[in-house]
Amino acid sequence: MAVSTIYSTQALNSTHFLTSSPSSTSSSSKQVFFYRRQTNRRFNTIITCAAQQTVVIGLAADSGCGKSTFMRRLTSVFGGAAEPPKGGNPDSNTLISDMTTVICLDDYHSLDRTGRKEKGVTALDPRANDFDLMYEQVKALKSGIAVEKPIYNHVTGLLDAPELIQPPKILVIEGLHPMFDERVRDLLDFSIYLDISNEVKFAWKIQRDMAERGHSLESIKASIEARKPDFDAFIDPQKQYADAVIEVLPTQLIPDDNEGKVLRVRLIMKEGVKYFSPVYLFDEGSTISWIPCGRKLTCSYPGINFNYQPDSYFDNEVSVVEMDGQFDRLDELIYVESHLSNLSTKFYGEVTQQMLKHADFPGSNNGTGLFQTIVGLKIRDLYEQLIANKATAPSEAAKA
Amino acid sequence: MTTVAATGLNVATPRAVVLPAARLHAPVRLNYPWKFVSMNRMVMSVKATSEGEISDKVEKSIQEAKETCADDPVSGECVAAWDEVEELSAAASHARDKKKAGGSDPLEEYCSDNPETDECRTYDN
Repeated sequence: MAVSTIYSTQALNSTHFLTSSPSSTSSSSKQVFFYRRQTNRRFNTIITCAAQQTVVIGLAADSGCGKSTFMRRLTSVFGGAAEPPKGGNPDSNTLISDMTTVICLDDYHSLDRTGRKEKGVTALDPRANDFDLMYEQVKALKSGIAVEKPIYNHVTGLLDAPELIQPPKILVIEGLHPMFDERVRDLLDFSIYLDISNEVKFAWKIQRDMAERGHSLESIKASIEARKPDFDAFIDPQKQYADAVIEVLPTQLIPDDNEGKVLRVRLIMKEGVKYFSPVYLFDEGSTISWIPCGRKLTCSYPGINFNYQPDSYFDNEVSVVEMDGQFDRLDELIYVESHLSNLSTKFYGEVTQQMLKHADFPGSNNGTGLFQTIVGLKIRDLYEQLIANKATAPSEAAKA
Repeated sequence: MTTVAATGLNVATPRAVVLPAARLHAPVRLNYPWKFVSMNRMVMSVKATSEGEISDKVEKSIQEAKETCADDPVSGECVAAWDEVEELSAAASHARDKKKAGGSDPLEEYCSDNPETDECRTYDN
């Protein structure tokens, strides 16, 4: 949103020229000078437009990009459905909605599939990615300049012709290495890391791949094992830089559960991040364990357990909200929502409404969906605060 | 009629100088628009790869990975091969989700992208 104020006391009817000089600061507000050619007096009319401020969010998640659930929830919080760019490459990984554009960082692979096979590197390896291009393009989009972004075709494994990306209001970069490169990390206004534990990852991959012919339990296991060293070396360390980590672990409510259907999800939120106030239960900074099921609420097995506590995570002060179990009914959801504080909702029941809107998404009945939705609302809150702060229109009329 | 030459000279004489630049490019076809309908009028969108192809790729890649790793389980090639399996499996699963989500009706798909074309116009009254 561009905000401009024009100060002018006289009609600009004589010949004048305008020069736009982008200011040297990174906020890139363009100042337009109008000069009225008159010999004796000169009125300078300065129009300052705050150029569109693009908010950049980084999301680190394993196993490629695409129409992942988190992105759909996030774009839904802002309104509108995110779709691939119309009329472009159908294998494009980009999603565009009114307010947001989601870019898949796989598009910045410097080596395509054959190249990686020759060199014997995985996609997780930084050698397979062009961080310089990533940094330049994200910087350009953040400053409001459109870019021609390459497309990595996941099906063919080749790098297709680039597509034009217009700078959006909110840019989400999703992939394996959003926080790997320090320069890109500095451009991010907010970063999220999805940390799936090994047991849960294994269970999810089995669910995903067993239907695929050719796959067997051994091949799935071999695939995970083979990627693990690179993952631990390059992707996992990004956790420490994230502002919010969603950790998915096996449940503690069912002993010896290996189905991975009931999950224990922890939302680890860094303290002291600008424009981000962590969610809490009962009171900030306290430790509380809460089981909502009881007299007011009857839950089915295995029930729901909540936990909130301050903690330390990689030498950072964090607050952790944890949910173990799953929701069965709407009233459980609304009951839980009414007891969580600092959700940044605009009205009572917004979290429940968002969860219900996407009841068919995976994770809609447990902590993954809940915390993804909450993080989405937090990002909206962060965006609005950022815009309110930067949308200053210093307008001066200087008479020389 | 004076015609300004390409060099900028003003030809004062009433002689009409037809220069290459001034030749009519639009052919006479405008009088009979139905006769010269271009075959490329409707741009066919690039066909997205079908699900069966991806499944075949997954299967092939698993075979290759097993073979590569039989020689040397810790080499870079083996790891890269399994990474490829993972990538293709993810692509296959996304394709399955997309197919399940809808988009199986080609007319609906076309109309969602081009609502102003004749086939897709809707009228309220």
